[in-house]
Formats: sequence, structure tokens, C-alpha cells
Amino acid sequence: MTDGINHHREGLTTSHHDWSMLQVGKLLENQPIVIISVEDASEVLLKNGVSSAPIYDSGRKMFIGMFDYSDLMTYILLVLKKMEVPLEDQTMEMRDLIQKTNHSQNVPVKLVSDLSGNDPFCTVLAETKLGAVVNDFGTGIHRVAVMDSQGNMTGVLTQSLTLDYLMRHLSEFPQLQPVMQKGLQQLGLTGIKVLSVTGETQVLEALIIMSTNGVSSLAVVNDQGVLLGNISMADVQYIMKDLRTSWLWLSCFQFVSKVRLSRGVETGEDQYPVLDVNAKSTFGYTLSKLQATKVHRLWIINDTNHVVGVVSLTDVFKVLSGYIDS
Amino acid sequence: MGSDLDRQIQTLLQCKIITEAEVKDLCLKAREILVEESNVQRVDAPVTVCGDIHGQFHDLKELFKVGGECPKTNYLFMGMGTVARYVFSVMLSIEIDLPGDFVDRGHHSVETFLLLLALKVRYPDRITLIRGNHESRQITKVYGFYDECFQKFGSANVWRYCCEIFDYLSLSAIIDDRIFCVHGGLSPSINTIDQIRTIDRMQEVPHNGAMCDLLWSDPDPDSCTGWGLSPRGAGFLFGESVAKPFLHNNGLELIARAHQLVMEGYKLMFDEQVVTVWSAPNYCYRCGNVAAILEVDSNLNREYRIFKDSDRSSMNSRTNPQREGPPDYFL
Repeated sequence: MTDGINHHREGLTTSHHDWSMLQVGKLLENQPIVIISVEDASEVLLKNGVSSAPIYDSGRKMFIGMFDYSDLMTYILLVLKKMEVPLEDQTMEMRDLIQKTNHSQNVPVKLVSDLSGNDPFCTVLAETKLGAVVNDFGTGIHRVAVMDSQGNMTGVLTQSLTLDYLMRHLSEFPQLQPVMQKGLQQLGLTGIKVLSVTGETQVLEALIIMSTNGVSSLAVVNDQGVLLGNISMADVQYIMKDLRTSWLWLSCFQFVSKVRLSRGVETGEDQYPVLDVNAKSTFGYTLSKLQATKVHRLWIINDTNHVVGVVSLTDVFKVLSGYIDS
Repeated sequence: MGSDLDRQIQTLLQCKIITEAEVKDLCLKAREILVEESNVQRVDAPVTVCGDIHGQFHDLKELFKVGGECPKTNYLFMGMGTVARYVFSVMLSIEIDLPGDFVDRGHHSVETFLLLLALKVRYPDRITLIRGNHESRQITKVYGFYDECFQKFGSANVWRYCCEIFDYLSLSAIIDDRIFCVHGGLSPSINTIDQIRTIDRMQEVPHNGAMCDLLWSDPDPDSCTGWGLSPRGAGFLFGESVAKPFLHNNGLELIARAHQLVMEGYKLMFDEQVVTVWSAPNYCYRCGNVAAILEVDSNLNREYRIFKDSDRSSMNSRTNPQREGPPDYFL
């Protein structure tokens, strides 16, 4: 039976080396950069199929922050007055943004940059060792902007990209073999209470719950607690697409359904409604599934399909950072 | 039985639904036939093999025009794709405020499925239906078939009757011991056709394992290894190094399957030993693809017939926004 890991990939070297010593610039070879001006930000995210983009201020000729779906969601909630930020916590930019939304003025994306407060703009040099970045990834930073010695951005290194690279070159990193064989329970990823909503909960309410709790997704369960699907901040893109704001008032289950239908037509193939992994799976199998499905987290379920934990990319890197030879 | 059934078939051919009581009765009769069928149902050539229909009723009628009416032509449907984009299209219409009859614009998964089922009961040896990944309770709840049944019949009963029938559908078919037909693809748990015969199929499609894989897997022409996890979250990707030995060890000359949209209607892979057949033209009224059926004659010669969407369907597509360019053939 296959463990899901591809053991023989083309182009492998047979020399073994320490994965944490890789220079991060290497992982970005041939990556095109998406640079946006201050307008039309979420349109750009959609068109390019990315979940974040660095914001370039052509006036000041520098990168001033990142824009992602988390920021977009926070913006939507502010606009709909579903979020209150106490005055003392408001930055200048935030006050400017709130003022503009109150007066229905067009909002430049720079005001929405890094708005969520999660995942601020981080830069590293291309020579930085991967081990250092993996440590950062394990604390919840989802991506870092990689710069060359002249201060030009060469690309954005994300958690997803890093995982994909490690999995494709796994046989070059024998130090990672032991952790791949470990079970999810062994690694302490199960038996954790996860935040969930029922299928009947309104999408808008789910977004508020995510925002208030600082999480990027929620399990969608039925009234017996069985996993039905997932709602995450990146799903906000489906609401922004064609400005389908009425979707905010759908139930989470209807929303999951629409997102799946939408994706199925776009890709020509329908996806399974729930992306999960059994609690008895190995870490290696879990990483393979994350890599294959390109999602940012998998819900961990037991044999009765109840959620008993979650493995996010952040969790993955937290585990891996424990395997760096110091 | 005969005249009642013929009347129901005539009703369904006009894309009209029969009563709930008639559906219940039809399903009972269908069950008696399907329960006798094998997990690997033997089919004699000549036969015309079809892929996903996805509720595009008027295009199914187009298919019958191109391939010949049942029972004159012997048919094999590799899954029905009981998906309803119905709810989705109704929402879209509200948002962009178009005039017109939106019930027709939607999809007709119920009518399509009931028509094929009625034909199966009427001509059991002239039409073979095998299970696709959409013929499942969990999937039909998410992908709209449940909603369509509820909308058209006022309760969940018809959906339940249909789901029970899904459980009885064969998992695969074999034409003259040479052409293996399955909705999705291969499984790492299955090396021989005989192993498929040992599966206990009369249940909801499991989340993993051999039965799930047969309905969810995809071939991967770019694969350098044998197996990979599927981006769909169920089933596997299988490469040439897996497909060819399977064909050889089981004395097969072709694996025909559906499950993935193909712009050109059909796509051959692995030295023409695996083919994907897609039978829903202009998918969801906006993909702009053609559809195909595979005609196998009594000497097992194969011919692919291409067809476009029916006039009725293309009327719907004119008011639906066109995609920007063709979608990639996605693996």
C-alpha cells in the first residue's frame, strides 16, 4: 500500500544534505512576481490565483506591506460595521480607512495593507537559511518576501511553496524520515478543541468568529458534529468575485456548496467536499495530502467523522522546526 | 407494466417529471435488476460508451440523436454526474437581473437520471449504468442534486429513493473482456479485475479504499512515479507505469473512463491505452467544450463521435457569461 509519498522523482541528486541549511533564494527559482498598484487589489489576487501580494508604492518607490484575504475580510467587516476597533488601538491608516468607508469613498489598498494585524510584511535576504524561515513559519507567519543584496524583491516564499519543495526533494533529507513516520497523535496534534460552526450559521457570522478569534478557518459541521466542509478566509475571494456580496448572508453549508460548484466548473473536475485526514495517519501522509490538495490545513477526524484536531501549515512548520540541528 | 413505463418514458423524454409514487415504483423495479448485476458488469459489443452527462438533459437528447435511440443502440453510461448547478444558476439570475425562464435554464439532473433509469428498467440488456462519484448521498447534498429534488418534488423522498438506487449501481463494466470501463480510474488496492468483484459495493461511497478510488482517481500523464495523492482529496493519480501493467495483467486493450472535463470531448493517453470520454457539451453552458461518445463495434473497433450542445442548450448559454478562453485540461 502506498504511503502517498512519491519516492522516486526525476532530477534528484543522490547527495544528502541538511535541509535547514538551504538558502531560501533557491526555493524561488523561476517565480514570477505579481506587483500591484494601489487600486484593484483583490482583482489581482483573483486573476493570479495567489492569496497575497506585496504592495508597491510607486511614489515612494518601495514595498510597503502585504495585502491578503485576511486583510480583505477585515476590511469587509469594518465596512459593514461588524467590527469595532477601540480608538487607542487604531493606527493612523486605520482611522483614515474607517473615515473613508464611512463616507463611501474609494479606499486605496495601501490603507488595507496588513490591516488584519495577522501576518505582517516580513523580509529576508536570499542567503538566509531555510531553518531560520521555518522557525518563523512555525510561529504563524505565512510568507516572507525575499530580497537580494540591492534591496530588490526576488519573490515571495510561502509556507505552501516550502512544503512542496521539501516533499519533492524528501529523499535528499534523511533527517526528516523519522518525523514522517510519526503519528499525528504522537505529535500532539489531536485531542485539541477546534473552532467550528454548524452548516446553518450565516457566512457573515462565521467571518466575524474567524476575525474575533484570530483563526483563518472554521470546520463546518452538522448538528451531530460530523464534518461537512470548511470555511476559510481565502473563501472571501468567491464573494469578491463578481461582487457576490449577497453570499455573505447564505448559510455556511450553502456557501460551501456554491464554492465547490464554482471551483468544479473552473477546473473541470469536482473536489471532495471535505479535506481531512484520519487521526491514525502518519505525519508524512498528512504532508503529502496537504501538498497534493494545495490547502492550508486539513481537519483531523476520528473514525466517526468527528473533528478531533487540525493540522495547518503553521503546525507543520512548528513540528519541523523541532528537527533543525542547531 | 409495459405501457405505464412507456408512458413514463415519454413524459421524461419531454423533460417533465413523473410523480413521486411513480419514482418510488420505478426505483423498486430498478433495484431488482441492478442487484443481479456484477461489480464488473459484462457487456457485449457493439456498444456506445458515454461519459458524464451532468444533468444537461437536452444534450442527452442530442447524444441519442448522434448515437442512435435506445434500445436500437446499446449504451453504457460511465456515471451520470447527478450534479445540479440549478441552485447556482438561479442565484446568478437574481444578481444580474436577467429576464427569462430560469427553471429551464437550470439543469435537469432529476429528469436525466430518471429517464436513464426508466430506460434501464424497460430495456435492461440494452443500457448499462455504472456508478460515478456523484452518485452518492454526501456529494449530492453539496453539489445540488438534493436541492433539485426538493425543489421539484417538495420533499427529500425522491432524493432518498435515488440514493438507494445509487448503492446498487455496478462499479465498472467490461466489454468482451477487453475494454474496461470505470468512472474514475485505478486503485493501489486493486491489481486484478477479480479483486473488484470481491468488493461489497451496496453502500454509500466510502471516503477511501478501493471502491472510492475506482470512482475518484485520475490518470496523470505527467507522473514519473506510479501513484500520487489526488488534488481532489479522494482517490489517486496514476501514471503510465501503473496503467500499462494493469492492462497487460488483465488482458485488456483499453481503459475507458470519464470524470474530467475534456475540451475536445475525448482524450487518449498512455499510447492510446487509456481514454477519457466527456459527454456534456458546453459544460454548465459556458465552458465551450465539445462532447464525445465512444462507439465500439462487434470487432471492438473504436470510433469517437463528437457533438456540440443542442439548440435548446445553446439558447441558455447565450445569456450566461462566457469564460475567458478555454479552461486548461486539468489534471
